[in-house]
Amino acid sequence: MLQHLFKLIWNKKKTHMLLIVEIWASFMVLFGLATLIVVNVGNYREPLGFSYERVWAIGLNTNQDTTELADKVQRIAQRLNAYPEVESVSRMSSNFPFSANQMNNGIEYNKRNVLADHYVTDENFAKTLEMPVVAGKWYRHTDSVGKYWPIVINQKAKEGLFGDENALGKVVGERLKVVGVVDNFKAKGEFMSNKPAYFELVNAKDSWNNTMLIRVKPGTDAVFEAKVVKDIATMVKGWSVEVDYLTDSRKNQHNLVLVPVIIASIISGFLLINVALGLFGVLNLSIAKRRGEIGLRRAIGATGSGIASQFIGEIWVLATFAMLIGLLFAAQFPILNVFDLQAGVYISAILIAIAVIYGIVTICALFPSRQAALIQPAVALHEE
Amino acid sequence: MLTNYIKIAWKVLLRHPFYTFITLFGISLTLTVLMVLTSFLDHIFGSHYPETKRDRSAYIMQVVQRDSASSGRSTGPMSFKFLTNFVKTLKTPERVTICSFVNSSNAYVGSQKIKLNTKFTDADFWRIMDFDFLEGKPYNEQNIANGEYVVVINDDLKKQYFDNSEESVIGKTIDIESINYKIIGVVKGSPVTRPFSYADVYFPYTAPKSNYQQSGMRGGFVSVILAKQKSDIPAIQEEFQSRVSTIPLPGVENGWKYHTVEIKAEPYAENFIGTILDAGPGLKTVFFGILFFVLFMLLGLPAINLVNVNVSRIMERGSEIGIRKAFGAPVRTLVWQFIIENIFITFIGGAIALLLTSIVIYFINSSGWIAYADLTINLSVFLISILVCLIFGFLSGVLPALRMSKLTIAEALKS
Repeated sequence: MLQHLFKLIWNKKKTHMLLIVEIWASFMVLFGLATLIVVNVGNYREPLGFSYERVWAIGLNTNQDTTELADKVQRIAQRLNAYPEVESVSRMSSNFPFSANQMNNGIEYNKRNVLADHYVTDENFAKTLEMPVVAGKWYRHTDSVGKYWPIVINQKAKEGLFGDENALGKVVGERLKVVGVVDNFKAKGEFMSNKPAYFELVNAKDSWNNTMLIRVKPGTDAVFEAKVVKDIATMVKGWSVEVDYLTDSRKNQHNLVLVPVIIASIISGFLLINVALGLFGVLNLSIAKRRGEIGLRRAIGATGSGIASQFIGEIWVLATFAMLIGLLFAAQFPILNVFDLQAGVYISAILIAIAVIYGIVTICALFPSRQAALIQPAVALHEE
Repeated sequence: MLTNYIKIAWKVLLRHPFYTFITLFGISLTLTVLMVLTSFLDHIFGSHYPETKRDRSAYIMQVVQRDSASSGRSTGPMSFKFLTNFVKTLKTPERVTICSFVNSSNAYVGSQKIKLNTKFTDADFWRIMDFDFLEGKPYNEQNIANGEYVVVINDDLKKQYFDNSEESVIGKTIDIESINYKIIGVVKGSPVTRPFSYADVYFPYTAPKSNYQQSGMRGGFVSVILAKQKSDIPAIQEEFQSRVSTIPLPGVENGWKYHTVEIKAEPYAENFIGTILDAGPGLKTVFFGILFFVLFMLLGLPAINLVNVNVSRIMERGSEIGIRKAFGAPVRTLVWQFIIENIFITFIGGAIALLLTSIVIYFINSSGWIAYADLTINLSVFLISILVCLIFGFLSGVLPALRMSKLTIAEALKS
């Protein structure tokens, strides 16, 4: 049966060429879109690793002020802590969660190198973001005695640097000592891939790393925010203060990912509808043209469903031809490791694309083949 | 004769509403997607309010510093001092403005917080950008020299801060980060997609917290150069590059030693695409690969579809062709008829696309998705896309028509 279908298609390869090209092109479009979606869904399913509701990032900019900066930053932190509306305050580098800023650094242990996101934070960071520490503990200022400086790494960085070994107490690079391990830390939002990261204790004396993360009590609104901004502005003349709610920044980060995906989906959706309609029309016509053949087959005893399955089988063979060509292209992505994605992503994208294509061609062939099945042999042969 | 063909075409279209629908759907949808995309690109890169002189402007957005081994690199906007020394003093341009890129801040009205995008500019900014002043006027060199605390705001901020009041707000003050500024002008806002001109509040560069005093090469400022005419831009670039080559190397910035400095004054589109192109050959191939792929799919898929549908549609009309041939119609006439038919349907599709595009554009403009969006239908793009559709319609119509017309009469009639 299958062999027969192949022969049927092969014999008319010239007329089917355009259909094959069309299905091939749809397959490629779907493959691209499915890759995009699989990557993002995969990322989204990884937990974020921290909580961001009710957390505000207060960015301080010293501008032209150059005197006693470290002191002033300390005083601001103390002042923030004193408000009854504030649950917790943490000082960190400008790359706070969901911000547009990024810092990364290569870290090394035993010749194993990992490029990790680098955050400079203080001892209250885990508490402010409600981040659980899975091994060891979060560093404190007292951990900085001696020649080593404390860091906390995330699970991904631990795997990269230490594999299955215990990470606690190990010295990374020349002066960084691991005191704790946290789970995920996806600072750019749910759609970010889970990357290695490490947190370094902020030096109380440095004058940069001037972002304050505060967790406020529920129900705190912009009136309190205005008060904080005003208080800070009177404490430190000439500094700029900027308040971001992490929930807002998260929305921005998400839009950066979602908007392109939505635009791509809309365009591909219309392309596929276009193709499906065309396919439907062409099939309808070609089946109408083969009325004589169908009548003859019915006359020698073929059932209606037999006829219908023949046409659906034909279009499946056609689609398979097209997708085999498509696979030649799509297979290059996992083989050549384009975009540094895991092969699994491409394979599931290919499978999704294949499933959707078979679905579309089946739907397109269903109606014309049902009509073909209804053809009465006497009528069809009489027309001949 | 022509009206006759069109009449026939119309009848044929009505006879098979379904195929007509498929064909029209394909043509109009492709044209719509294409036109909305180009109108969007035109919105981002073209010369529009308030950057109406963009076609004869060059933009300087960032300086790239590299160390000797080219392993470390530091990129970003420049300091006010550096731009004053190296750009403001150029001889060829008509005018040069130095302004900051978009900064942000907050203002508070009662329990309401207003997110502000702020910009520090010099007085020439208002001469290069063609802003519509709804009220008041811009600040000038005198205001700046006096160090006055004055600002220009956009109409959106006026609405939010002054509670939709209709009266003029000139002379009123606005509290931003605990400093009171006097409003001297209200402009119609610029869309967020134009980062060189977009802001809610415009400060003179001498206002507090602008950091214009910063020494060194890096800072928070960018520059726009306006040429007397478009053809002057290469001369300006040349003059600028010769100035840049006088920067003493190697230099030190914030304790980091750099050995090369790259800084370019480029037309707007190149300025933005350039950052992608500069990222290395790998990314460039990927970028153009994807661009080519998308364009190919966008145009190619519907075109193949159109050819496909047309081929079967015309093949179906074998008997009609047979009869016409039997009555002595030459091949030329038959082909001509199909061409006219295809042109006819393409134009109907084009008209639908025009309608759809204006609906989509109206929706984008009024949805507030991009504040102050001013997308317009681009007529030249429309004509080009109609032409592309015509070519495909032509090919898809002529090939089967030729094949048909070569059939012998008996064979054609038999089908």
